[in-house]
Amino acid sequence: MTVIEVENLRYRYPQQAEPALDGVSFSVQQGEFIGIIGPNRSGKSTLCQALVGLVPHFYKGAIGGKVMVAGLDVHQHQVWEVCQRVGLVFQSPFTQMSGAKFTVYDEVAFGLENQGVARDEMVRRIERVLRLLGLWEYRDRNPFALSGGQMQRLAIASVLALEPEVLVLDEPTSQLDPAGTSEVFAAVSDLCRQGMTVVMAEHKVDRIAARADRVLVLHEGKSIAFGPPRQVFAREDLPALGVAIPPVTEVCRRLGWQLPDGTYPVTVAEAVQMGGAARGNHNS
Amino acid sequence: MATITVENLHFHYTPGVPVLRGITLSIQPGTVAIIGQNGAGKSTFVRLLNGLLKPVEGYVQVDGVDTRSVSVATMARSVGLVFQNPGDQLFKSRVLDEVMFGPLNLKWPEEKARERALAALRQVGLEGVEEKNPYDLGLAERKLVTVAGILAMDTPVVVLDEPTIAQDRDGVLRLGEVVTSLRQEGRTVITITHDMDFVARYFERVLVFQNGRVLLDGTAPEVFSRADILSAAGLEPPQIAQLSMALGMNPPALTVEEFVELMQQRT
Amino acid sequence: MRLSLYVPGNSWVHRLDPLTKLIMAVVAVILVFVLPGYWASAALLAVSLGVLASGGVLRRSVPVFLGVSLIAITFFVVQGLVYPGNQHPALTLGPVTFYQEGLLLGLKLSLRLYNILAATLVLILLTNPSDLVESLVRRGVPSRFGYVVVAVLQMIPNMAATTGTIMDAQRSRGMETEGSLWTRMRAFIPLMGPLVTSSLIATEERALALEVRGFSGNRKPTFLHEEVIPPYAWAVRALYLAALILAIAGRWIG
Repeated sequence: MTVIEVENLRYRYPQQAEPALDGVSFSVQQGEFIGIIGPNRSGKSTLCQALVGLVPHFYKGAIGGKVMVAGLDVHQHQVWEVCQRVGLVFQSPFTQMSGAKFTVYDEVAFGLENQGVARDEMVRRIERVLRLLGLWEYRDRNPFALSGGQMQRLAIASVLALEPEVLVLDEPTSQLDPAGTSEVFAAVSDLCRQGMTVVMAEHKVDRIAARADRVLVLHEGKSIAFGPPRQVFAREDLPALGVAIPPVTEVCRRLGWQLPDGTYPVTVAEAVQMGGAARGNHNS
Repeated sequence: MATITVENLHFHYTPGVPVLRGITLSIQPGTVAIIGQNGAGKSTFVRLLNGLLKPVEGYVQVDGVDTRSVSVATMARSVGLVFQNPGDQLFKSRVLDEVMFGPLNLKWPEEKARERALAALRQVGLEGVEEKNPYDLGLAERKLVTVAGILAMDTPVVVLDEPTIAQDRDGVLRLGEVVTSLRQEGRTVITITHDMDFVARYFERVLVFQNGRVLLDGTAPEVFSRADILSAAGLEPPQIAQLSMALGMNPPALTVEEFVELMQQRT
Repeated sequence: MRLSLYVPGNSWVHRLDPLTKLIMAVVAVILVFVLPGYWASAALLAVSLGVLASGGVLRRSVPVFLGVSLIAITFFVVQGLVYPGNQHPALTLGPVTFYQEGLLLGLKLSLRLYNILAATLVLILLTNPSDLVESLVRRGVPSRFGYVVVAVLQMIPNMAATTGTIMDAQRSRGMETEGSLWTRMRAFIPLMGPLVTSSLIATEERALALEVRGFSGNRKPTFLHEEVIPPYAWAVRALYLAALILAIAGRWIG
């Protein structure tokens, strides 16, 4: 079932001469994990925000094309309506803490109170998401007393409590240490396995390559590639366009360690297999 | 140029909650990467190097000068520290003025300050933006402006606190070039980072911090071959190192080029 | 960490709902100006102090009362010396004479001062500010306004911490922050600039994060926590309002 349908999306921020998005089209099926990669200023954040309607409703500016997410035409609905079906998690854990609540437990309630959810339902949902993100034992702590990774998981929990069908994350691990990054990727993968559709913009291409079902490559507001990781990272033009590729993929390309379908390994495990085989060939 | 000597360094913000628990080492000119989980004491350590924090026990000497004996402004001539968040220091409306702030604080004549500032901007690949407002640039470029701001001060020691956050591939390459050129000038470059590929490519020595102590101190190949210790510190070796070790290469290759070369040598 | 003088506890005052405490404070302040005579004022002060005591915060309030005693002393001295209605001397110290009428007026003004202070301390020390704000939002105050009030309480300490980081960053670039007043004034702009811009940027980022949690939907909000109004709260409200009505009526008639 198609859960996201973007058709020829074009957008220009007010007071900018160049469009931030210049005719992006793609569609996403339910339960997929989509990675969005590309150099800075390529439109990744803009696209993430366009999926929930912040672009254009928050910034104004000029928009064209169509964005359908979870059955809603995003341009025809207000942000708070779209956000009942699509959640967005931002880069900075700190600024996602509302500041109005003094415990982790109450922080999750913030969005639920705004959306007018009944109290019993609130209690049920808060416990569910806090346990899901491994934060239940911290429920009485002040949100600002958490570590970066914990705060980011709290931001995810707060958005999940609104029970969206789609979760969009905009470079959620950029301010986290490796352990925090792993926590976030693990949590997101779990959600995906349970049927959530996930879209994540990231610089950490090695992790995206390992977990994403498909990868969308943006460059100067245009979509230049969209497909399974191995297919996308096999392209020759990515480094010249400033798009990072996993180091093991680069290595395999230079050594000619190609997979039968013409692509190269994108994870260490795949590369090890190829490497073992290659050495086996030499030894025999 | 400068040697940094750290002797039995202990530090806490509040008594009873130690942050650094006895660090002894010395740093010669060259490149040093400090890695470790958040909370391990890395940021605290570098703030002890430029005198922002003073040791509770032990001492830190930069070229024989004890950090407790001079003001931070004086230490700033020897140790330049680039903070993680550019927003915590940008305040001028022109990039050039921003980069000249440091040199002017060091009481250099305006002409010299301007010259050094322009050279620093060239070094980070930002020529042409001198007249712009820093906030008209993207986040990654603002970061490069703050790096230029420290480079312009010509300090023998340059410390970069998480320089690669939010940088794309080209941004990381540019930072790497800066690190290499500083090393070639004989300076000391210290970085705190979570980007293992960045460390592997540009840094000779790696310090692994855990719980206020230095868990591991060695060359990059030495440190990255100890996956077990890294794991205890909440870290992973860079991808290429993992690949090398899984294929039986010890010491592991750390970069794409090294791995390719080693592989081709074997055939 | 947040900016608040609230002292948590479990006394009957603590268990009163915030609106009742707001009524107590407002009525007490109005009574200060309506009540005739010194005995009534003193009685009101005794009541407010009694409330503070039963909340366990009387000791904590002492420094505040001592702090304004300087003002109270000024009342006595100034009025005692130069009040126009001064006629009967009360106390002579060398060349200066304090008069009865002025001293009594000083007493009246001091009682008013302490009464207002005691009344507002009931609100400040014994009421959780976020509970108070939520209590008002339940009754129709726009929730966005309520959010701003409460968030500011947490954000100010955060901004203070950011200022520390900014100062460190600028000092690391050779900026002097210690020394003469002139040196410290020159340090002001390199500190304020980043504080303002980083606060503005954080505000925009937070606004976006709030948007995706339904902040500007104009729906009637629900509340996770139930408001518990103990039965005796109604009695307290009635008592205070009755006192107010009586005092106003008394003033009118008398």
